Amino acid sequence: MPKGNKRTRSDWSRREFLKTAGVAAATLAFPEIIISCGGQSSTGPSTTIPKARKGASIRLLQWTSFVKPADAEFKRQAAEWGAANGVTVAIETVTGDQLQPKTAAAVEANSGPDIIQMQYGWPHLYTDSCLDVSNEVNILIGKLGKPDPVNAAFCQVDGKWRAIPYTIVPNAWTYRTDYFQQAGVSSFPKTWDELTAAAAKLKTTGKHIEQTDGHAYGDSLTMWNPVLWGFGGKEVNADGKTVAINSKETRDAIRWAQGAVQAGFVVHPEWLDPDNNQAYHADRISGTLNGASIYIREKIEFHHYTDVTNNAPMPSGPKGTFAMNLIFNHAVMKWSPDAETAKAMLLALMEKDTYLKWTAIAAGYNAGPFDAFHNDPVFAADPKLKAFQDVVAPGKWPGWPALPSKKTAQAQTQYIVADMFAKALANGGTGDIEAAVKGAETSLKAIFERP
Amino acid sequence: MATVARPALGKRPAGRVIGDRFVGRAIRVYLPLLLLLVVTLFPFYWMAVTSFKSASELFDFSVSPLWVRQPTLEWYHHLFTETNFPHWAFNTAVVATVSTLISLFCSILAGYSLARLRYRGADSIGWGIFVTYLVPPTLLFLPLTIVIRELHLFNNLWALILTYPTFLIPFCTWMLMGFFKGIPRELEEAALVDGATRIQAMVRIAIPLALPGILAAALFAFTLSWNEFLYALIFMNDSLVKTIPVGVTQELIHGDEFFWGELMAAALLGSVPVAVLYSFFVDYFVAGMTAGAVKG
Amino acid sequence: MGTATRAAVPAWSRRRVRIFDREAPLGYLLLVPTLLVLGIFLLYPFLFGIWLSITDSELGNLGKFIGLGNYRFELRNTDGVFYTALVNTFLYTGITTVFKLGLGLIMALLLNQAFPFRRFVRAALLLPYIIPTVLSYEAWRWMFDPTFSVINWLLVHIHLVPYPGPNWLGVTSNAMAALMIVNVWRGTPFYAIAFLAGMQVIPVDLYEAARVDGATRWKQFTNITLPLLRPVLLVVLLLSTILTFADFQGPFVLANGAPYNSTQLLSIWAYQWGIPGGAIGIGAAISLVLFPLLTLVVAGVLFLLRRPE
Repeated sequence: MPKGNKRTRSDWSRREFLKTAGVAAATLAFPEIIISCGGQSSTGPSTTIPKARKGASIRLLQWTSFVKPADAEFKRQAAEWGAANGVTVAIETVTGDQLQPKTAAAVEANSGPDIIQMQYGWPHLYTDSCLDVSNEVNILIGKLGKPDPVNAAFCQVDGKWRAIPYTIVPNAWTYRTDYFQQAGVSSFPKTWDELTAAAAKLKTTGKHIEQTDGHAYGDSLTMWNPVLWGFGGKEVNADGKTVAINSKETRDAIRWAQGAVQAGFVVHPEWLDPDNNQAYHADRISGTLNGASIYIREKIEFHHYTDVTNNAPMPSGPKGTFAMNLIFNHAVMKWSPDAETAKAMLLALMEKDTYLKWTAIAAGYNAGPFDAFHNDPVFAADPKLKAFQDVVAPGKWPGWPALPSKKTAQAQTQYIVADMFAKALANGGTGDIEAAVKGAETSLKAIFERP
Repeated sequence: MATVARPALGKRPAGRVIGDRFVGRAIRVYLPLLLLLVVTLFPFYWMAVTSFKSASELFDFSVSPLWVRQPTLEWYHHLFTETNFPHWAFNTAVVATVSTLISLFCSILAGYSLARLRYRGADSIGWGIFVTYLVPPTLLFLPLTIVIRELHLFNNLWALILTYPTFLIPFCTWMLMGFFKGIPRELEEAALVDGATRIQAMVRIAIPLALPGILAAALFAFTLSWNEFLYALIFMNDSLVKTIPVGVTQELIHGDEFFWGELMAAALLGSVPVAVLYSFFVDYFVAGMTAGAVKG
Repeated sequence: MGTATRAAVPAWSRRRVRIFDREAPLGYLLLVPTLLVLGIFLLYPFLFGIWLSITDSELGNLGKFIGLGNYRFELRNTDGVFYTALVNTFLYTGITTVFKLGLGLIMALLLNQAFPFRRFVRAALLLPYIIPTVLSYEAWRWMFDPTFSVINWLLVHIHLVPYPGPNWLGVTSNAMAALMIVNVWRGTPFYAIAFLAGMQVIPVDLYEAARVDGATRWKQFTNITLPLLRPVLLVVLLLSTILTFADFQGPFVLANGAPYNSTQLLSIWAYQWGIPGGAIGIGAAISLVLFPLLTLVVAGVLFLLRRPE
């Protein structure tokens, strides 16, 4: 643990520096932003601040968060802002599966909600339907400091911001300290190789470390991309064109996974996102990778294993520590008749105090996407939540090191990386490595070499 | 005056072995019926049990999961107090009823026309009506969205009432073609010879004879609209105008945590009352709607 | 009664009635409501869908005509997912249809009998068809979940299989079987009700005559019930086949193509390309790849249906 602490602390100081530098630069470049920020945005005469129109009505579409009270708080804040500005606000929440067809329909009809939550790389899929919000993001940068690089990569298309950074759902390991102790594992593994050793020991307790390698919207991505990266593998080169999966590093990553599975790490190609949560709540497994939802639900609803549950950040591979988190941003859609009002509302909801009130109620499920949120008290309030804060910095996006694009989005939604591992991990971790790598390469080439 | 098929089939010819009454019938009817019932109902039993289990009992498989130890009505209570379930149920019923009626009206006429009347182009029109079925809705919903936008029907139950017939009419029309086809031509021809007009022959002879088919088509149309998910998901925005399948999943699935108790309670409440209604309906047409129509 | 009616209506109306007495005008007239509804709501989306498949359209970006490029892309893609999906779609449709047809016929024959609690039994057997699919599929998923499979719990406890029981959705063959079981469970009542309704239309005197001739129950079934059920049977078979071909929701909720695309179906593969992947041109091509074949099947059934007896 001490090592991890030190890394994070130095990282913070770097961020603090960048934040100060960013504000300084912004002050030089746009003095009016700072002035209007200081003197309450509604009174500032500046033209860069979007103004709400009295009598406008704004509809926002996003997914249903796991933390029920967090959705309620978000709706309350929006309604409060609406009442203060004479704007009718409607927030519609749908499940993760449902958000994309609804968004696609709105894009196709050129009509629909004024604001839509963009998950992962959607701004790259729907670029033409998302208004340029560079001005608003710059205002936020002036107030809150540097945006998280993953949010930034997803939001920026050809240098323009197509969405306003909203939140990060960090993914870390949730594990049972009692079973770990019983197996003689004193703390959660720091490296993938240690994870293999720990999995072997935990096998003796009958409660394995388990994870999906199937088609789960979140969990299979957040698990297998970081494994690939940790061993130096990648789907495609930084140019976003040359498929690079067929490498020694990829095989190293797969070999590690096979070793881990043979030792006692259990993978489930049939698991979707809810399955590891349920298995954990039911005392069937000793550890899994997930958002904070398992821990939070234990803490606020079940109370069965709260005391013997802890969370840990991602283990490191020979080529470094990597993580992948769920990233959500808000786009103002081009068909909105009141785009300025929509922008004004989003800015108000990102105000530091307002936002921190929301993350406090989200209880650690969400992390803020700007530097100003890096010392969010919600993570300090419960030391067990710290892991979820620690996985933010090593976070990357699917397709990394290439920038997000339509192609990386297609590779992601076809679960090519997870499928490659799943093929090699079939039959107790004895699948054909070469066939798995070749299959992934062919699928990736079909996507990236398509004109 | 004819009797209906059921009692006739059930009636045993005289002079059979006495033991057949019980043993034969048990093997022929009761045993398969029992098997079918068990397989069909087990998932419903499981849903019902789940809907009465507390959150912690739900995940506990250390004792038999097939029984509830401390039944709770919490989930049903939640469903009615904390969600808009009554609204969803009402919306679903309205949409399903109206779109079924519209579709039946259209497809009775079209089905009769295509199955009974001879004219040029009938084949290609019948084919055309059905071919629309071959473009899957997983794709069709995108352009349909544009139509709904042009008609300003977003977030309006009429959007569903008017679009559901697009998949109900081809379905019912074809279904009814099958039934109209099965009615002996001579019956209608006899009426025509007696001086009835074509329309009279249709309304007084063909339609009453096809009534079991019409009722069956109504049943299917109602069920398809009752279950419809995609259009309801895309076209409706406010919780108060949603239908059961959409409303329930949106409010009871939170990220990666499922609220099984409420989900299963909603599933049961969204199907059992309808099933009971249906069984009366089926009873009605099995009990011999054709009686008096077929000349014996 | 004809003369009485004719005397009562005015002359102008009588002429109109005469016109519609001829089959052709009446035939077209009866089609008007249907063609109106379908024309307004379906014609444009339908043509648009076909057009999408021959363009390089993306979501929010209408593309340009590229001929059969999208079809060629999928057919030539060597990663094999498309062909897996194609084969699986045929297997899924073929196998479930055989079971639904057989079980549906049996269920209809049973429901046509008199027995105690008939009303309750009918309601019960109809339930799988009525329950909103999104909810029943989630319930099935949970019953198949390896950790919480109540099916496995039962199988293990009656000592049919050793602990922990089959992994329903994690092994390719099991997963396909699981998808099919759920589809048959849900689809059988549809067949049963349609057949039951079809049996009511069969004139009873045919059975009476057969019995007088000493035909056995089986003979009555094969010589009377089956042939007279033929039009309904054909239509039900066709409708169900098309719907099963395009079935999306069940397989999507239960497996979503996992493990590693081995249970992939055309409908899901089209969705993955078209909606989350944004390439609706390719998505459209995948879902329409069987369109020519299916239109021929429809034409064939229509021919059989309209053929005079």
